[in-house]
Amino acid sequence: MVLELHKPRPIWQIMFSTHHTDVGLLYLITSLAFMFMGGALALILRLELFAPGTQVIADSMTYNRIFTVHGTTLIFLFILPSASAFGNYLVPIMVRFKDMAYPKLNAIAFWMIPPAGALIWLGFADFTWYAYPTYSVISAPGPAADMWIFGLKILGVSSILGSINFVVTIMKCKHPDLPLSKMPLLAWAYLTSSLITLVAVPTFAAALLMLLTDRLGASGFFNPTMGGDPIAYQHLFWFTFHPEVYILVIPAIGFMYEIFPRFSRKPIFSHGSGVTAFVLLALVGFASWAHHMYATGMSFTEKTVFMVGTLAAVPASAMHTFNFLATMWGGRIKFATPIMWAVGGIALFFSAGAGGVVNSAMPLDFITHDSYWVVGHFHLFVMGTILFGTVAFVYYMFPYVTGRMYNEMWGKIHFILAFIGTVMVFFTQHILGLFGMPRRIYDYPPVPEWVQMNIIITVGAMIIGISMAIFLGNLIYSSAKGKPADMDDPFGLGGKYYFPYQAKTPHTEGGGYH
Amino acid sequence: MKAIIGLGIVSGLLLILPAVRYVLAAGDEPGEYLDRRVEIWGLFYRLMIVAFTIGTVVSGTIVWLVLRFRESNPKAKPTSYEDSGTW
Amino acid sequence: MSGHSSWPEWVYIGVVVALLCYVGAEAWNIERIIEHVPADAEIIKVTGQQWLWTFEHEDGTKEIGELHVEKGKAYKFEITSKDVIHSFNIHDYVVLLDAVPGRVNTVWFSPTDAGEFPIQCREYCGLIHYNMRATLFVEDKGA
Repeated sequence: MVLELHKPRPIWQIMFSTHHTDVGLLYLITSLAFMFMGGALALILRLELFAPGTQVIADSMTYNRIFTVHGTTLIFLFILPSASAFGNYLVPIMVRFKDMAYPKLNAIAFWMIPPAGALIWLGFADFTWYAYPTYSVISAPGPAADMWIFGLKILGVSSILGSINFVVTIMKCKHPDLPLSKMPLLAWAYLTSSLITLVAVPTFAAALLMLLTDRLGASGFFNPTMGGDPIAYQHLFWFTFHPEVYILVIPAIGFMYEIFPRFSRKPIFSHGSGVTAFVLLALVGFASWAHHMYATGMSFTEKTVFMVGTLAAVPASAMHTFNFLATMWGGRIKFATPIMWAVGGIALFFSAGAGGVVNSAMPLDFITHDSYWVVGHFHLFVMGTILFGTVAFVYYMFPYVTGRMYNEMWGKIHFILAFIGTVMVFFTQHILGLFGMPRRIYDYPPVPEWVQMNIIITVGAMIIGISMAIFLGNLIYSSAKGKPADMDDPFGLGGKYYFPYQAKTPHTEGGGYH
Repeated sequence: MKAIIGLGIVSGLLLILPAVRYVLAAGDEPGEYLDRRVEIWGLFYRLMIVAFTIGTVVSGTIVWLVLRFRESNPKAKPTSYEDSGTW
Repeated sequence: MSGHSSWPEWVYIGVVVALLCYVGAEAWNIERIIEHVPADAEIIKVTGQQWLWTFEHEDGTKEIGELHVEKGKAYKFEITSKDVIHSFNIHDYVVLLDAVPGRVNTVWFSPTDAGEFPIQCREYCGLIHYNMRATLFVEDKGA
């Protein structure tokens, strides 16, 4: 259901609804709320790291808890649900079906998220979002650790249920006249990321259960004093979470596949190339997990195998970049807020990928492992690509969800500040890592280069913070008081809002749904 | 553009040869041990040259595309899809 | 749409794959070179625990929080942990390897510059991870 703030529907009607647009709205509001909460935690961390010594956080355990919840929140409570949000809105429309395949299951999958989020935030565990044993087994304080484990268990189940829904809706409920090869690339993005989820996530569910029984003393899977191996957890964890990063990025790339053609006023350069790239990435993404474990004492052969697996996934991402650039070429582009974010996202996607190729070279891990280089690298992906792609799509979908237009000037200011801030923070962090600063540290010795770079990074983070405050203001104000949008062509491009699956919403003339 | 990348690859390959020669010559005597720092940072700098070369090409292309195909560019002309209004 | 073969895209992918092969070959070569441990490397046992580093030389000498080595000699670290996973890191000499309980990991190096170099932990290990430090002293021969 769309957001109508002037004559709102009864709240219980939305809460108990199983219609895909209602569930999509619930996912959207929840994910954006967690985005702001997780981002605020980052600002606190950066204030502390502004200089050596104590600034705003009294002790290192609090700092450790904050970065754990920051990472956990933004990955599991922002990125994944925001992908589900837009998937819920658009997948049924894109496959020309009336709703998701299992509407009640859809609502259940959403409603698992607030309690899981509550468990994570009320617990505030400290063992990083990886929860590596043996620290998480013998040393991490409970009940925070156990609450985090339960919270993630619930989120994993929610993810799997959502993925089942997407796969069945796309494969079984799509309109008989629509062949898969003509299905929009955004729907392909949801199909591939859901399939990856179904294969990868159960492994982590198993690992979590084993971690819990280890914590309870009932087993010794990862505890060497009971005959176990802590590295086994890392294999299980990364077997899930390397493909997981593709689950995170593929929907964002899908969003860009909507935005680039739309605003360039021409179709995507190569639909087939996009499909191939998604499928290739999904398959090859399973071959690289232990590049996260180069420092654990693996043999030369093992490291080589995973380096090759990592490099093999790069051409697929390169294909997407080519597709977007080739789509812009020859177009007549209106640089409204959504496409500014999408172009910024692609530029940062490339930098993140280039850093990743450097990371995959095994000997370089001796310089960069667990240093700020890694922090800079992955944030260029999650912030630079995924958040930029998601925010682009929030702006793009704003008229569909609310019937109103956001403020364009503030949207552009949001982009400019966020882009400058992102470059200041995450490019500098690469260099800081080369100078040896480890990650996950509450304080650092007054090495002059570290001090100077931390200042730049904190300032950049504050710029991002300001831009996000602008975003929040724009979202809230425009939802209530924004100019009503022309639902056929809200961006004034000359074509339809989205073609060929233009849908009617209660905001369009005549109201009702497709 | 292709020439630059080609040059990058060729010069990179030429750099492996001295490294291979070095390892065959490195011995096990004190004073002849290889220095990890030199090897690893050397690899880093070589890969950085490749990454920045490609980065310049890609970023440069993006900047050119954004400037050339923006609708306010004097040379901008409607795409062939704008007649029908569907793309 | 799908079906048309676009030669610029194929050239582009060809260039990307060539570059990746170069990266892989270079990395493989360098890793192979640096993993070759000299036969006369002196063994130093490194033990990490929450939140300090201890060292034991071949001759039984033990050190806590500091490690004295001689310039120009080759040393092989045998690294383990007593409790949780830590990571032994001498950044200035690009030595980095996890200290895993129940396991011994080995890495070798040969210091070529005299001086004092920081040793830090590079894997989150709890409350004082941020300050789990030691110092490497590289001394000239005969010092």
